[in-house]
Amino acid sequence: MKQGILPVGNPMDQKREKSEVRQGTLALMVLKTLDVLGPLHGYGIARRIEQISGDLLAVNQGTLYPVLLKLEQEGSIASEWGTSENKRRARFYRLTREGRKQLQSETREWEQTAAIIGRFFAVKAEDLK
Amino acid sequence: MRTLRRFLKRLLSWSRAQGDEERLRVEIEEHLALQTAENIRTGLSPVEARRQAVLKFGAVEAIKEDYRDQRGLPFFETLLQDTRYALRRLRKSPAFTVTVILTLALGIGATTSIFTLVHAVLLKSLPVANPQELYRLGKESRCCYWGGYSQEDEFSIFSYDLYTHFRDHTQGFAELAAFQAGGALFGVRGTRGAGAVQSYPGEFVTGNYFSMFGIRAYTGRLLTPGDDRAGAPPVAVMSYRLWQQQYGSDPSVIGGSFNFDEKPFTVVGITPPGFFGDKLRAIPPDFFLPLATEPLVEADADLNKTDMYWLDLIGRIRPGAAPASIEADMRVELKQWLRSHWGDMSANDRVKFADQTLFLRPGGAGITSMREDYARWLQILMVVTIFVLLIVCANVANLMLVRGMERRRQISLSMALGAQASRLVRQALTECILFSLAGGAAGLGAAFAGTRLILHFAVPHVDGMGGVPISASPSIPVLLFAFGVSLVTGIAFGILPAWMATRVDPVEALRGASRSTARTGSLPRKMLVVFQAALSLVLLASSGLLTAALQRLENQNFGFAQDRRTIVQIDPALAGYRLEQLTTLYGRIHDLLSSVPGVSAAAVCLYSPQRGNNWGTGVWVDGRPAPGPHDDNFAFWDRATAGYFDVIGTPILSGRGITDEDTATSRRVAVINEAFARKFFKGEDPIGKHFGESDMGASRQYEIVGVAKDARYLSFNLAKPIDPFFFMPEPQHDLLPNTTTDSDPGSHFLHDIVIVTQPRARLSAAQLRQAMASVDPNLPIISIRTLREQVAGQFGQQRLIARLTSFFGILSLVLASIGLYGVTAYNAGRRTNEIGVRLALGANRGQIVARVLRGAFGLVVIGLVVGLPLALAAGRFLGSQLYGLNPHNPVVILLAVLTLGFTALVASLIPAIRASLISPVVALRAE
Repeated sequence: MKQGILPVGNPMDQKREKSEVRQGTLALMVLKTLDVLGPLHGYGIARRIEQISGDLLAVNQGTLYPVLLKLEQEGSIASEWGTSENKRRARFYRLTREGRKQLQSETREWEQTAAIIGRFFAVKAEDLK
Repeated sequence: MRTLRRFLKRLLSWSRAQGDEERLRVEIEEHLALQTAENIRTGLSPVEARRQAVLKFGAVEAIKEDYRDQRGLPFFETLLQDTRYALRRLRKSPAFTVTVILTLALGIGATTSIFTLVHAVLLKSLPVANPQELYRLGKESRCCYWGGYSQEDEFSIFSYDLYTHFRDHTQGFAELAAFQAGGALFGVRGTRGAGAVQSYPGEFVTGNYFSMFGIRAYTGRLLTPGDDRAGAPPVAVMSYRLWQQQYGSDPSVIGGSFNFDEKPFTVVGITPPGFFGDKLRAIPPDFFLPLATEPLVEADADLNKTDMYWLDLIGRIRPGAAPASIEADMRVELKQWLRSHWGDMSANDRVKFADQTLFLRPGGAGITSMREDYARWLQILMVVTIFVLLIVCANVANLMLVRGMERRRQISLSMALGAQASRLVRQALTECILFSLAGGAAGLGAAFAGTRLILHFAVPHVDGMGGVPISASPSIPVLLFAFGVSLVTGIAFGILPAWMATRVDPVEALRGASRSTARTGSLPRKMLVVFQAALSLVLLASSGLLTAALQRLENQNFGFAQDRRTIVQIDPALAGYRLEQLTTLYGRIHDLLSSVPGVSAAAVCLYSPQRGNNWGTGVWVDGRPAPGPHDDNFAFWDRATAGYFDVIGTPILSGRGITDEDTATSRRVAVINEAFARKFFKGEDPIGKHFGESDMGASRQYEIVGVAKDARYLSFNLAKPIDPFFFMPEPQHDLLPNTTTDSDPGSHFLHDIVIVTQPRARLSAAQLRQAMASVDPNLPIISIRTLREQVAGQFGQQRLIARLTSFFGILSLVLASIGLYGVTAYNAGRRTNEIGVRLALGANRGQIVARVLRGAFGLVVIGLVVGLPLALAAGRFLGSQLYGLNPHNPVVILLAVLTLGFTALVASLIPAIRASLISPVVALRAE
């Protein structure tokens, strides 16, 4: 195919793989946020993650919404309509029992992985001799 | 588990897509509002706050897209969307849609209809239980009789004695059954009421025949080993077809008494509806009789002849038994059996003893004689229809390309707005597959009609008897085939236009389609036209070759007269005649038929020319050494009554024909043909010489009294010179040495009455039937037809292939012309400006026509160059179907080239002339 023929494409196309990786992390952050702070709307979750993680969500806050949908479809979170701080209709998300279990198991896994990786990084060349 | 739940949710949310879309909109709006408020609090102006909020959120549309992908089932959703979109587009251009679907229906229908036959004849198993457990003896079917103690290449036909030897000694078979290789025709009469004798096809089978096939009676019972014993009460089983069609499913038929060739039998049961015996054949058997009753019914019984082979064998192997080891066992058994008959074997048989072997082959399809007969022409037709399908694909692809050109702007716009190339390709492909599926559905209808038509013309049918058990209505495999072909077709013709669709430069296209430099569309279309022209040439040349071969066959010098000759087919055995009554019967037939007004002469013979059957034997010329095992001494023979050669119109070249002086007591004589004289008496005068049948160890049986002109009796070996023949007088019997027994009594049961009518006399079948009824009302007439019809009937298959191929050839020519017309017209249309300029600068119209024609003819010439080697290859592929016609026959090939060239000229002349008639002013103004 000739280059330059497609001036506009779907920007998500090139990024899909990268965002999949991020989605996993993002999902865990969403679960943890809801676990700590209780029911929140999308903006609230975005703000919280932004505060804690720095600039991970500084751009493309919108990517949060597909992740929320996926988690809801999987049954880890539930949502319902409520009223936001500025008295407008907003969708509030909360952790379900299933989500809590998932969070626990994923936290365990994450800690294990982190511990193993940590040990690997701690190892110096002379330790292996 | 989670994945499953997610899938179900997705399925659910797919069904309420609207609500979700709304929810996301509200959520995004709320998110932006909150972020804007937050930004205002940090001191930004409302406008800037909103802008920053939107920036931070990211590409809204992209996120919506991602959200949608997460939500529903994007694959099915887009598929459904594309389908709906394609349907809408097809509805908007009904003429185009109908044209494409009809073209496709033709191609898919032709292929499917031939596949229906291929499936039924070449692929399908018998309708019996577990056909994969069945094994047959023999690689090829060897119908119908064989004598002696050796067979060429393999033992594939068996005597009853050899069958029982195998049955009793082979461990690997659960059941081993035997049945008649050739089948019989029975004269059947119900004993209640004085009904006339009707002839029906039947078969002698062993008592375990039905249990071996795992077949149960539809009603009553089938044969058992108890019925197949000498002295058991004679019983028979009737086919479902006959019971239903002839006896109206009358339950009293079971247990009813029927005469077979005037011997009383009891019908004990009816076979199940789908069962058609052990082989696919044009006329399936209507009666099954136990082998043990064969001597009862047949005057010339074969059951107890140790070395008369007339049975086919099929067995069901025991579960777990290895066919290879059964085959090895049976080879040993065959040698044992042959050795136990060492004393009866001729010297030649003994020489061949070491080579005798047999083969066990899968028998689920039964005895595949029809497969062997029809395989070649089915292959040819399959290839022809695939060619037609390719041409159809090319044609439709061409139409789609034109359509693609018209849609260039729309596609450019879609792409400019961000449509993915893959999605556009998918849309185009969806449309094509929709087309081909619709074409396939319509094609199934065409296939049904086509198959019925082909069956009607290809397979002989006799009134009152069952037709070939092939159903034209589509079965599951046929449906799957049609679906598969449609799908492949859709992709084949769709892929090019779809790919072309994405090669659109949005900027170029939007700037103004008519001015764009793009010649992009024309190269693939030109290639398609070249492809079509090449394939058409192949089909035209093939149909030309087949037609020329057929004409050569039909117009050859047959060596007998076809005009004014009528053949009445009878079988005295069906009416229970005995050997010693026959000469009198033939005398009566001759006298009574000759007295019918309009008849000038009549004679009776065993087989008239082109009847499809003849007997043969090894010849030993007196005074020469006995022929060795590998000597070619084969000759065919026939038996006839006095005056036969005059009646059939074959001139006697020297000596005399068969006359009234040849009686049972006069010296044994024979009339030979030229080929016989050439083969056995090179240059010598054969008259007065003697010869005999080498199988009988005789050299002085017959004295040659005449030489007849060569006549083509055999309906096979048509490409070869006429085979040696000799003719014997009906009243004379060949006695076995030192006995008064005839060695071949069956050959005195003559089948064909040949009648010559007077010039310009009209003879009706009713007159003949009436005359025959006065001979013997119980003698059934099997058929009455002219000799011309009989000869034409032998070329039915050949004629059918020639006609079908011609039909497809013409079809492909028309399609290719349409393609060429389209491309020429399109290119001329694009060059309107250029033509206008040329005309304005003083070019004359002839030059314009020549210019356009040159372009079109270039394509055709390339097509011819590509097609010519293919056409020559096709000639070689047709090979034996051309019956000796040169497969590279220059006249035929030249005619095909000229036909294609002329049609191409007409197809491109119209747009060329139209282009030249443009007024330069109009052309230049048309921007």
